Amino acid sequence: MITRCLNARQTFSILNTCLLFAGFLSAQAPSRDPAPNPSQSPAARPRPKPASTEAWPAAEVKTGETRFVSQCGFCHGRDATGDQSGLDLTRSQLVADDIRGEKIGPLVRAGRPDAGMPPFRIKDAELQAIVAFIHTQAKKFSEFGGGRRSVDPADLDTGNAADGRAYFNGPGGCSKCHSATGDLAGLASRYHGLILLERMLYPSGQPAPALPKATLTLPSGQTIVAPIAAEDEFSVIVLDPTGTRRTFSKSSVKVKSDDPMDAHFAQLGKYTDADMHNVYAYLATLK
Amino acid sequence: MRNATRALLIAIALAALAAGQNVDSNMLRHPPVDAWLTYHGDYSGQRHSKLSQITPDNVGQLKQVWRFQTGQTQAIKASPILVDGVLYITTPDNLWAVDARTGKERWHYQHPANNAFHIGHRGAAVYKGNVYLTTPDCHLIAFQAKDGKKKWDVVVADSDKGYWSSNAPLVVGNHVLVGVSGDFDNVPGQLKSFDADTGKLQWIFYSTPPAGTAGSKSGGATGGQMWTTGTYDPELNLVFVGTGNPTPVLNGGVRPGDNPWTCSIVALNPNTGKLVWGFQVSPHDTHDWDANEIPVLVDGDFKDQPRRMLMQASRNGYFFVLDRTNGRNLLTVPFATVNWAKGIDSMGRPIPNPAKEPSRDGVLVAPNEAGATNFRPPAFDPRTGLFIVNAQDGYGIYFFKPEHGGYGWAGADYGIAGKSSLRAIDYKTGRIVWDHPIGNGAGTAGVLTTETGLTFSGDNRTSVVALRTGDGKTLWREDTGRMQNAPITYELDGKQYLIFGGGGSLLAFALP
Repeated sequence: MITRCLNARQTFSILNTCLLFAGFLSAQAPSRDPAPNPSQSPAARPRPKPASTEAWPAAEVKTGETRFVSQCGFCHGRDATGDQSGLDLTRSQLVADDIRGEKIGPLVRAGRPDAGMPPFRIKDAELQAIVAFIHTQAKKFSEFGGGRRSVDPADLDTGNAADGRAYFNGPGGCSKCHSATGDLAGLASRYHGLILLERMLYPSGQPAPALPKATLTLPSGQTIVAPIAAEDEFSVIVLDPTGTRRTFSKSSVKVKSDDPMDAHFAQLGKYTDADMHNVYAYLATLK
Repeated sequence: MRNATRALLIAIALAALAAGQNVDSNMLRHPPVDAWLTYHGDYSGQRHSKLSQITPDNVGQLKQVWRFQTGQTQAIKASPILVDGVLYITTPDNLWAVDARTGKERWHYQHPANNAFHIGHRGAAVYKGNVYLTTPDCHLIAFQAKDGKKKWDVVVADSDKGYWSSNAPLVVGNHVLVGVSGDFDNVPGQLKSFDADTGKLQWIFYSTPPAGTAGSKSGGATGGQMWTTGTYDPELNLVFVGTGNPTPVLNGGVRPGDNPWTCSIVALNPNTGKLVWGFQVSPHDTHDWDANEIPVLVDGDFKDQPRRMLMQASRNGYFFVLDRTNGRNLLTVPFATVNWAKGIDSMGRPIPNPAKEPSRDGVLVAPNEAGATNFRPPAFDPRTGLFIVNAQDGYGIYFFKPEHGGYGWAGADYGIAGKSSLRAIDYKTGRIVWDHPIGNGAGTAGVLTTETGLTFSGDNRTSVVALRTGDGKTLWREDTGRMQNAPITYELDGKQYLIFGGGGSLLAFALP
């Protein structure tokens, strides 16, 4: 998270209020686009408690299964426990909180484009049947316990925390940006298991990691520094202090991008598996 | 051109149009400029067009001519087929005939709702007035091209057992070759050939034979599905097909050995379905790295010797050049970040490092499950010898413990991060000649090259791009929505068209 002004001497000229800008970032955490890792397996978490334990008519569940399997199953698994890229819905907090599709319905219809889920145009009755199927599966698997793709926190406890600490402060270079008593203090009480490992390797999901920042040089010579919501070869979309997306064409504006995630990406090519497990073991001590 | 000559040419063209194009074996071998007759456009899989109206000098003037909206949630992942001025385009359960000049719908087939995966569809096939469509629930249906009337409908595989199909069939002679998918169940890998006229089953090739088959060498593996479209060498009379990963997917312990012919390139006799040779690009795969990427056929020199070659940029991160007459390896070199192999064996196959097999505490592996490339077809530019592929440098973590069992996925893996590029490989050495970044994550767009030195593809956001083939420099772009298929090109009425998928739309571009 960026919670401080990126550079006090460079000001955001559009609204020109660095403090507002910082305030916006800490209040809202816009997701990165495109999301590099939409799969955040909740398999390591305890199952959320459902808001409703309603039973559904078998025929409706069966219809829902047909539609779910064909439209949702490749990503979320035929049994809704997650597959190639989608969440295990039987462990989803949103599903647990849902009553008769009030939360699932809008999400299905809007999609989660940043996480790779398209919007679905679907009739009310079909949606209700899918909702019935998901809830039935969530109930079934909570009774079974376990999970088909589970990675338990204990599975990951093979590293050496002292070696991990040495790597963190030494060859890993982690301490160039992070501190066990600063930004990472209490990390292991916020994340554990697979989620901690994934966020250690390449932070994504919510809360969002630090956004890349763009330094824009306008034709006038004026300079703007702003967080990047999206960027490609042709344009950069930055967030102004109100959170509004503003697009600049690279044909008219000079853009220098600085992505703190680049260091994480480069590190993926350097870790040995032992390094990875050691650093994880070290971070798991930061309670 | 003088008016009289032009009028005469138009008259001839109209007469030809009235008669209709007879898509027979000869035309499939020598497709005319006003057609795109197979998934790849021709049998070579090069996706290189000889058309030359659009050049590096004028590509900046390209304008949209029409846009066809499927109205479906699913993006277009298919390559359109063009015959008789009509495009055939698909999404799962859907086939449209669209006027190639106007983008207007001629007819539409909607398959009944079914309980099979609807993850994408690669396209239709045509032969002698028929259009062939595979469906998610593994039917192969033949339609009358002119009006969409159904002629026959056969079942390719049992979708209740976990098969589905997204396949664009390959027509060779009177054979319609159809592949299926199936990663989530332990089912044999099969490619089937059907009679193009009647739909009668002709043969089955098993990449992993059904349990109990005498002499099976698969080591107990199932899978190895052939879900992409193969290529064909008429002179050798060989069909070349990439095969998918073995199942169970991440648990290799229950299927010892190399597991042929999974993650392989196989050469088959199209008349019999018999294996002539096989080359395994990932022996004993435990990372879901299908070798289904297009086996591109190229004739040219390799180390100063004329060769009939086959090239594949594979999902496992390695670029392979084979002698396609016998399957012998000429070159194996990585084209993207890899960390899973200990070296290359005497046959040119990467040697898997056991330390990178999925484990209880997880291993960090490059590439990730999405692969160094995937379904998106590459192109080969014969002028420069560049093989251009939508590549990804990526990392994932792979887990397996006995509790995950031995059925279906049998493990857990998570993509961590990736960066994509359009990447040009010199086929003679494997050297990366240029690298054109297109964004984070895995790409989705295929590639087309043209004789004038243009490369068309899409980035990871919403742009279609034209690059200069020689150096990868951007010459044109247009905001079309994310491309999830490969571009095609053809000439109609003297005008060169480019067709791209953008989300759920098909878009036609041409010079004004």
